Amino acid sequence: MVDIIYPLSFLAAASALLALVMLFAKDALTCAMALLGVLLSTAGIYGMIGAHFVATIQLVVYAGAIMVLFVFSIMLLNLKKLGDRFPITSPRFLIGAVSGLAIVGAGTWGILQWIPQSYGTWDNQAMLAAGGNTRILAHSLFTQHAIAFEAVSVALIVALVGAVTLAKRKFE
Amino acid sequence: MDPVIFTTLAVVAKMLLLLAVTLGVVPVMVWFERRGAGWFQGRPGPNRVGPFGLLQPLADVIKFFFKEDWTPGNADKFWYWMAPLIALVAPLAAISVIPFGSHLVIGDSVVQMQLADVDAGVIFILAFAGLEVYPVILAGWASNNKYSVLGALRGSAQVVSYEISMGLALLSMLLFYGTFNMNEMVTWQTGTLWGFLPAWGCFFNPFAALVFWVSIFAETNRLPFDLPEGESEIVAGYHLEYGAFKFAAFFMAEYVAMIMAAALMITVFFGGYGFLPGMQTILEIATQQFGLGAAGIQNVTALLQFTSLASKVAFVMFVFVWVRWTLPRFRFDQLMDLGWKWLFPLSLVNLVFTAWLTWYMGQ
Repeated sequence: MVDIIYPLSFLAAASALLALVMLFAKDALTCAMALLGVLLSTAGIYGMIGAHFVATIQLVVYAGAIMVLFVFSIMLLNLKKLGDRFPITSPRFLIGAVSGLAIVGAGTWGILQWIPQSYGTWDNQAMLAAGGNTRILAHSLFTQHAIAFEAVSVALIVALVGAVTLAKRKFE
Repeated sequence: MDPVIFTTLAVVAKMLLLLAVTLGVVPVMVWFERRGAGWFQGRPGPNRVGPFGLLQPLADVIKFFFKEDWTPGNADKFWYWMAPLIALVAPLAAISVIPFGSHLVIGDSVVQMQLADVDAGVIFILAFAGLEVYPVILAGWASNNKYSVLGALRGSAQVVSYEISMGLALLSMLLFYGTFNMNEMVTWQTGTLWGFLPAWGCFFNPFAALVFWVSIFAETNRLPFDLPEGESEIVAGYHLEYGAFKFAAFFMAEYVAMIMAAALMITVFFGGYGFLPGMQTILEIATQQFGLGAAGIQNVTALLQFTSLASKVAFVMFVFVWVRWTLPRFRFDQLMDLGWKWLFPLSLVNLVFTAWLTWYMGQ
């Protein structure tokens, strides 16, 4: 297997950099496009480690649909420059920052604890032998995790109906 | 040769080939579009620059180079410059997963005739087709012009709407093939149906093929659905404020997107790089004439496959021009009606029917 650590670290650096741009840019559209860049480079990382299906779904759903919605709302509300109204020393921001860092730290710690035991039965050879990762994923989604899958789709429909009801009341 | 260097060279060569073919087709298409317009309207078309006006695209390029490169005063400079670049990048990235032949044998090594063999190739293309909305929105918004924003809104609404029926048409084919991998799809489509028809996807699911074909006209902003441009109502749509080479970039992006969409449609519905009728005979004659070995046969096969894909794509491109000069432009509400009230429900019904059919055949 060709060494993929260089492209991976490039993509990781790109996504970290774009995440910083997203946080600190003053122009709302630039923030949104930086977020799009983060999503694209994450999709690239997924693709490099062989999770093609997750990578493409990331592109279709996040980059192709959700970000379009973001950009649309920014354009239609005409959010131009956000300016310096953001109080960086306010207690609210500090509490948010500390708890955010705590969550990220806990997550990282948890992943690091879990990684050494995480190499399951699927390596690249086993994946190819079973017909590619899309097939494996589809199989496990519709057999092993069928109930969870259906529950998630019901939850999404409930959310959709709720959103339409809320929006409709406002218009009437 | 060192295998790593060989692989790198092969990948770079494939990239250059794809770039050369997709971008090299653009001037030819520009020439054909104008000559075709003349042909359909019973007038000569451009015939002064070079034989049959063949050098007309070159004259256009020179004009684009020497025009003043102008940026509107209140435009958002960064995104104004980025939009044409994104417009070109998205379809070029999408074209990288389309297989244009099986494989070549050079020495002891095998070169796959596909830039990236992505397992979920079809969705990958859909993903990058979805990114084609961004340049439209960005260009319209960054130009800071009411007409540009109107054009951008129309354009993005159209692309987003037709993506749905396009996706549903593709989905029904995925049920037939049972794979996302484009190479496997092409393999599935080799052979014949009832002894005389090639076993192409469009003969199994003609309705999906039709919906897909209509949708790519809307996706690539071609007539009869070129409303984002709409020069009769909103001056020139999202690229109104663009001139010189930035406009040319949008123009090129449209043709690259057309080639990409055509290649995708060929791969999913029309047998991909599979042999056209008669190519097997050519291969046999070549084998006998030159006494080819196994590697030679494989290489000639790959070349013929590339020719097959290229000629099918050329035909679809011809249809693009043909339709452009035959049908008048739709009104915007007619376009939306067609997309949401006809194509969307019908392709949904088709999808359910195909699902039932696949289940029934599997019984």
